[in-house]
Amino acid sequence: MSKRNPKSTAPDTIDTDLAIKVEDAHYSYPAGNVVALSGVNLEVDKGELLGIIGQNGSGKTTLTKLLNRLLKPTSGNVYVNGMLTTPRTVQEMSAHIGYVFQNPNHQLFARTVKDELEFGPKNIGVEEADIAERVEDAIEFFGLQPYIEEHPYRVSFPIRKLVGIASVVTMRPSIIILDEPSTGQDHQTTRIINSLMRRLAEEGTTVICVSHDMPLLADVVDRVIVMRNTQIISDATPREVFADRELMLTTNLQAPQITEIALGTVTPLGGPIALTPAELADDLENRVKKGAQK
Amino acid sequence: MTEPIVRFHNVTYSYPGTEEPALRDISLEIMQGEYVGIVGLNGAGKTTLGLCVNGVVPSMLSGTRTGEVVVGGLSVEDYPVREMAKIVGMVFDNPEFQMSQITCAEEVALGLENAGVDVETMEKSVSEALELVGLKGFEERSPLGLSGGQQQRLAIAAVLAMKPKLLIMDEPTSNLDPIGKQEVFGMATTLNQDYGMTVIVIEHEVEVLAQFADRIIVMDGGTVVANGSPDEIFGQVDLLEGLGLRVPEATALADILAKRGLWKGPKPTKTDEAIAAVTNLIGVKA
Amino acid sequence: MVHRIHPVTKMVWVLVYIVLAFTTQNIFILYGMALFAIGLALLAGVFRPLLKAAYLIVPVGSSLIALQVLAPAVERPWTPIAEIGFVTLYGDGLYYALVLLGRIISSMLLTLVMVMTTHPSDLFLAFSKLKVPYTFNFMLAMTLQLIPVFQREVGIVLSAQKSRGMKGSGFSAVLPSFVPVFVGAIERVQQLSVSLESRGFGSSGNKTSYRKVTSRTQDWVYGVVGAVAMLGLMVYSILQPRLWNLSDIVVFAPETVLVTFSVAVTLFSFVIVGALFLSLRKT
Repeated sequence: MSKRNPKSTAPDTIDTDLAIKVEDAHYSYPAGNVVALSGVNLEVDKGELLGIIGQNGSGKTTLTKLLNRLLKPTSGNVYVNGMLTTPRTVQEMSAHIGYVFQNPNHQLFARTVKDELEFGPKNIGVEEADIAERVEDAIEFFGLQPYIEEHPYRVSFPIRKLVGIASVVTMRPSIIILDEPSTGQDHQTTRIINSLMRRLAEEGTTVICVSHDMPLLADVVDRVIVMRNTQIISDATPREVFADRELMLTTNLQAPQITEIALGTVTPLGGPIALTPAELADDLENRVKKGAQK
Repeated sequence: MTEPIVRFHNVTYSYPGTEEPALRDISLEIMQGEYVGIVGLNGAGKTTLGLCVNGVVPSMLSGTRTGEVVVGGLSVEDYPVREMAKIVGMVFDNPEFQMSQITCAEEVALGLENAGVDVETMEKSVSEALELVGLKGFEERSPLGLSGGQQQRLAIAAVLAMKPKLLIMDEPTSNLDPIGKQEVFGMATTLNQDYGMTVIVIEHEVEVLAQFADRIIVMDGGTVVANGSPDEIFGQVDLLEGLGLRVPEATALADILAKRGLWKGPKPTKTDEAIAAVTNLIGVKA
Repeated sequence: MVHRIHPVTKMVWVLVYIVLAFTTQNIFILYGMALFAIGLALLAGVFRPLLKAAYLIVPVGSSLIALQVLAPAVERPWTPIAEIGFVTLYGDGLYYALVLLGRIISSMLLTLVMVMTTHPSDLFLAFSKLKVPYTFNFMLAMTLQLIPVFQREVGIVLSAQKSRGMKGSGFSAVLPSFVPVFVGAIERVQQLSVSLESRGFGSSGNKTSYRKVTSRTQDWVYGVVGAVAMLGLMVYSILQPRLWNLSDIVVFAPETVLVTFSVAVTLFSFVIVGALFLSLRKT
């Protein structure tokens, strides 16, 4: 059941190309009047690969919950695909915006991995034939063929993480939020998840990744939102964010090691704010060769 | 020659009901006062190795273990875990899952209570341990109300109260935010450098290990694949990347350049070393 | 002052109260005990929270009274006092209903006051001094701690499943919610067990306790006074059988019974309707 707030003057839908539009959103938790977000504004284009970083308590989780309507703003508006979230339900929004929880164990309950993948689309009323097709696609995309008849808790944790993501992807939302996808994972699994996020974005899905894994953000996203103390304090490319020493200090974050090295050597000389060892290596190679030519 | 504080001799172990051994013929030594980092993919046997040191494997988790594990001069299989707990403290990856008591002080005192320590000594140990980890004043608070980093420090305090000679931390920061990670890694360094405690840290954060560890052990498929100083180990970039592991980005950089014939000399593992070496490379005067 | 009484003394009082309450059928004693408990609550400053817990008394009390008037739990013959259609109301049941209610109220109120004025850790210390086994005590303490944790976990799981479009909070919602919480609980228990074991938990042998409470003379006095008072009342009542069960002395006039019955039924209906209304509103 949707409830409409008669006092709200915000339009129920807006004509926009933006995937997400947040207008001056505030949120306070009812228990103890704890302010979690104060005056957040955000615009996200379709197909963007966006990262949100900040310490625990900065408001990043609250912001993502506003996006999928797990919460509704105490003031301000959130539009997802042009639809105002407030009068709608989480279930309604789930067809448009998917949320992959940090711990896959919080999602998985079915008897087989296949059932798990079917759960989401079934809930939103997708046709049987389409469900089968989506599940097939997801199995291929995530490499889950060997596990489809397995019990979700019988497979290893990294595979379970993939199942968690896949079970949201089968709902074919145009926007996906991933909460700390690489936390606690080893390098191999992180690489797989990173490449999955890039592929999803390539196929047109808007991907929002909440993480405090700096190398991940360096490697994968095009844009980083930095949050601190209930507000967005920076909205820029990973390079710009990492190069901002003061920002890194005040948010208690540290740039990836390679970026630190670049910032301490080539960047002041006009070189790149390197995000990967390969990038810095290429620049250094050029410099050395130029130096040798003199 | 001093005795190592941990010695593994041809240790093989299989969890009950499994065919593949979790540990295969492991032999290694760790000296008192070392800061040892253990890296490897999930499932490589790192946690199992840690649990062999304090005896939980095989006494609590059963299964078959062959070979010898000697810790602090004691052969682990001859002593119950509660005796080993006086020498070895172990902290795990989920801070909240280690909490069970109503107040922080009681959490720290738990091990002492079970060891039958008298109340006066307990009070002193508890208060010292809490102060050491920076949680002085938290005595009456509920552990479940603490942040992840604080909970993990409380878990460390609970272990330190027993005054062990050796601290094992199994992926202690994997569930923590950056501040929590800093707190816990800082703790490990303080305990090792200021108090001479032997510290074994199982982690994926190779940059941090490169910064502070004296030695790195690489595990894969239940065996020790490499064992040496951070420079020695992380320098073997192809080996580690072949196993699916990361090396510090500084080292990866040097490796790429070395392969292009542009890097001479050792490959750095620490940030400041790398900056100095790169500055040298491009010939910039400070 | 009540807060500082030794927890063991408090537990003794609880035991004393329960034994006395469930053996006597004297409504003056029973409601006197209840008033005493309320007095203690006022003294300790926990009256407000006590009231909140006392909401339970309304449904319990009204249903007891209503049922007893319809079908008394005493020997026949019963004294009919009114007939509504094919239902007959009897007068004998009211006394017994008040006895049952009195038992519940007096023991419940005192237990609540004692628990509300004691730090949970001291409570468990009292249990262990009363020779409750260590492991049982530990499990009880853990369960107390874990209730809010599991509430939180259930909340997370429900959010996760709603985000996958799961509608409805009926039976179809139970499975997708139950399994993840269950698995989480198992993982927690596994890691906690290893962590505890690694600290030497559960070993046989002498265990000391960090938490300590000093016993003062007053605590002993309170404990002894309580036990003696109870025994005294019991012995006195047995020697004076008429004091034990006052149902022949305290006879309620038919009108009283009718009125009480109507009030009880009305209250009870309100409770049922209210509960139904609340549960329907949620969906």
